[in-house]
Amino acid sequence: MASGSRAALALGRGNGACGYKPPSQGPATAPEAAPPPAAFPSRLCCRGRSGAAMRGQHRCVPRACAAGGQDGGSHGAELLGRRLGAAVPSSGVSDRHADVPVLISEDTVISQPAKILNFLRKQRYNADYELSAKQGADTLAYIALLEEKLLPALLHTFWVEAENYCSVTKPWFASRIPFPLSLYLPGKMSREALNRILLTRGGPPLYSLTEVEAQIYRDAKECLNLLSKRLGTSQFFFGNTPTTLDAFVFGFLAPVYKVCFPRVQLQEHLKQLTNLCRFCDDILTCYFKLTITGHSPSGQDTADANLQKLTQLVNKESNLIEKMDDNLRKSPQHPPRKITTLKLAAGGEESSPLNRLSP
Amino acid sequence: MSLVAEAFMNQLAAAEPWPENAALYQQLKEDQILLSDNAASLAVQAFLQMCNLPVRVVCRANAEYMSPSGKVPFIHVGNQVVSELGPIVQFVKAKGHSLSDGLDEVQKAEMKAYMELVNNMLLTAELYLQWCDDVTVEEITHPRYGSPYPWPLNRILSYQKQWEIRRKMKAIGWAGKSLEQVLEDVDQCCQALSQRLGTQPYFFNKQPTELDALVFGHLFTILTTQLITDELSEKVKNYGNLTAFCRRIEQQYFEGHDKDGSAAASARSAKRSLLR
Repeated sequence: MASGSRAALALGRGNGACGYKPPSQGPATAPEAAPPPAAFPSRLCCRGRSGAAMRGQHRCVPRACAAGGQDGGSHGAELLGRRLGAAVPSSGVSDRHADVPVLISEDTVISQPAKILNFLRKQRYNADYELSAKQGADTLAYIALLEEKLLPALLHTFWVEAENYCSVTKPWFASRIPFPLSLYLPGKMSREALNRILLTRGGPPLYSLTEVEAQIYRDAKECLNLLSKRLGTSQFFFGNTPTTLDAFVFGFLAPVYKVCFPRVQLQEHLKQLTNLCRFCDDILTCYFKLTITGHSPSGQDTADANLQKLTQLVNKESNLIEKMDDNLRKSPQHPPRKITTLKLAAGGEESSPLNRLSP
Repeated sequence: MSLVAEAFMNQLAAAEPWPENAALYQQLKEDQILLSDNAASLAVQAFLQMCNLPVRVVCRANAEYMSPSGKVPFIHVGNQVVSELGPIVQFVKAKGHSLSDGLDEVQKAEMKAYMELVNNMLLTAELYLQWCDDVTVEEITHPRYGSPYPWPLNRILSYQKQWEIRRKMKAIGWAGKSLEQVLEDVDQCCQALSQRLGTQPYFFNKQPTELDALVFGHLFTILTTQLITDELSEKVKNYGNLTAFCRRIEQQYFEGHDKDGSAAASARSAKRSLLR
């Protein structure tokens, strides 16, 4: 589901130093110790309109439109993408695709995390080159564990828990989806999430939703404990370089960790597992931070003056929108609107463009 | 179950030792049981054999309805009825028998992850093949599933079950998959299991665990069940260490016992009975 899409998106970003080996080279290339942080100029282009403009401009590189990275899935995908050098900006939800995450590359559209990862692998972006066969098998097993045990609780926290859904998830998604789909799609995603939880976990002897909820949260906490034990004190799951499994785990954990929900039992449990929190923070600082120049250091020479001009335009546009919003709010005819700003506490630069969102 | 209820159950379980007359219920071997249910039942039987706990296999047409969770197999031990491998493992552990005590925390996490892999991929693939592949449904599943019941009940029950399984497949995203994709997933899963097993006798080297029981249950059933085509069993046969693993467990835990009504008989009859 969506959590894996974060893994796939991340696969496209970042530098080429971590595990990526072009087939022509021998195994002698050693990855750099500290991967330089990836830039994401398109983080500034997080609005739907300008996102569409960005998409039109940059068809030549693999790009992912992943619902702005809110839902669990898109981040892992984004992360793997970043690690492995493909330029993956994240933009608003495409109006053509109700299915997120989705990777658009030269008119090819791929829509599920596993398929996105396969696509990136065929494009010779592979984070698992240095893993042994057994570690590859472990990756598959842990991903299955995440999908079976953690995903229902994640879906519940985002989409089914009424307070969370109404105050955070729905306005967040609706703000990125163009009208009129914004009235329909979040509700549909919520119904699908509830359906999935009830069909996969809701059989007898659990007869009511509260019993199912209790069971899935227990399973999720157990899963988090298992992940914490597996991670131990090492930096990533398989040593010092990140792999597909790290991306998947990050994709599942980061939304739980960072998004400020009213009802947060899973987040509180996660915060007690300090090594998992450290893991998420490390990845956020390494791969999801804006550089000073705003360019990806992986040699995107094609991200040139056009891009800079576009980002300046977008900045101006966003300032204008802000001013209009302020005027609207101060105007006596309109009742004061509640602004739901989302506090992603990853970093100053990262939170400010997102904070400018107003539903 | 809530935490309190589970603690209460565990306490009840711990109070008595394992009785001699424990029974394991499943559907009728010859005519009714399907691939996925047979795999689950065999996994539980293997697990109990590995723990050296005697159990007799009882075949009933309405086993699915008797089960507390709607899934087979379930065991009837003393006053308690427990279904599915996960709860049965916990129940047996509460009685003081466990196969995974010798593992450290990381290994336990790995074991649980691999069990989820088998459930996620192999079991779902078996369900897909049985209930979503039209040819198999028409020729094998419908006749077998409703065989103990008269017409029209047999058709109604099997359509109802098919509808339920298809809904579930749609919710988890498997409804859109083709048979080739499902077989590819099975291959990937078997490859992962084969790589994890390597040249060891069991998954965690010296002693079998519940993971070994689960993998044995599924792989042995796949290898010995005759379906419309042999593609599924061919996928497993590609991995020599997995077939050797199944043979080893069969020889060690199933053939050394009495022939009447034992797990060995049910395992062997699976070869002959799951035909059209």
